[in-house]
Amino acid sequence: MKSSDLDFMEGAPYIHRMAKQVQQDQVTRAARRAVLIDGIPVATLGGIALALGSTPDQSTAQKAWWIATTTVFTLAVAWVLLRAFRRADEYLRRIQLESMAVAFAAVLVGLQVATLLDAAGVIRLRQLAQLILLGGVAVWLLIADLRTRLHR
Amino acid sequence: MRNRLRELRAARRWSQADLADRCQVSRQAINAIETERYDPSLPLAFTIADVFGLAIEEIFHPDRMETTGDPA
Repeated sequence: MKSSDLDFMEGAPYIHRMAKQVQQDQVTRAARRAVLIDGIPVATLGGIALALGSTPDQSTAQKAWWIATTTVFTLAVAWVLLRAFRRADEYLRRIQLESMAVAFAAVLVGLQVATLLDAAGVIRLRQLAQLILLGGVAVWLLIADLRTRLHR
Repeated sequence: MRNRLRELRAARRWSQADLADRCQVSRQAINAIETERYDPSLPLAFTIADVFGLAIEEIFHPDRMETTGDPA
């Protein structure tokens, strides 16, 4: 790098450029907000599905609501994933995929532990299955967010 | 893979955001490429080369070139 380039970076135009960079960061923050805007209703729906599924001795109508809510939740998660991938470039897409791989492993471990505890009669697996899936989504979002925040 | 992205960008007085806009990728992607945490795909490498008006091999160098000293 030439010294004139370094001089330029110390000068007022550099501040202007940095201001633009901050503005671009705001664009990144807007993209992150878009993920949250997508994610919050879906997470709420997941909570509702969880609550409906946790009710003991369900009536037929309650079961129908539970199945319908869970189906909509599953489709909504797929929709959020699709939108996140469309929004991302190749680097962010790789971060998302790596985060999903970690989340998938967390879900597998969670399900395995829950299955063992279910077999031992400590917990009921069907009550925890949705919670574990929601936890997986949370792990995915958290890791992806942390990685994009830490490597600015 | 090593690259001259930071040097070329500074010579043109572009910020990472400027280059990201020109390449139509995120600023994080440009930052990751500059700091050699991420190797771009071939299409993105071509786009970057087009943006700078250079050939890919003038921007990106494999690590082995420095270890062997002679690419041939």
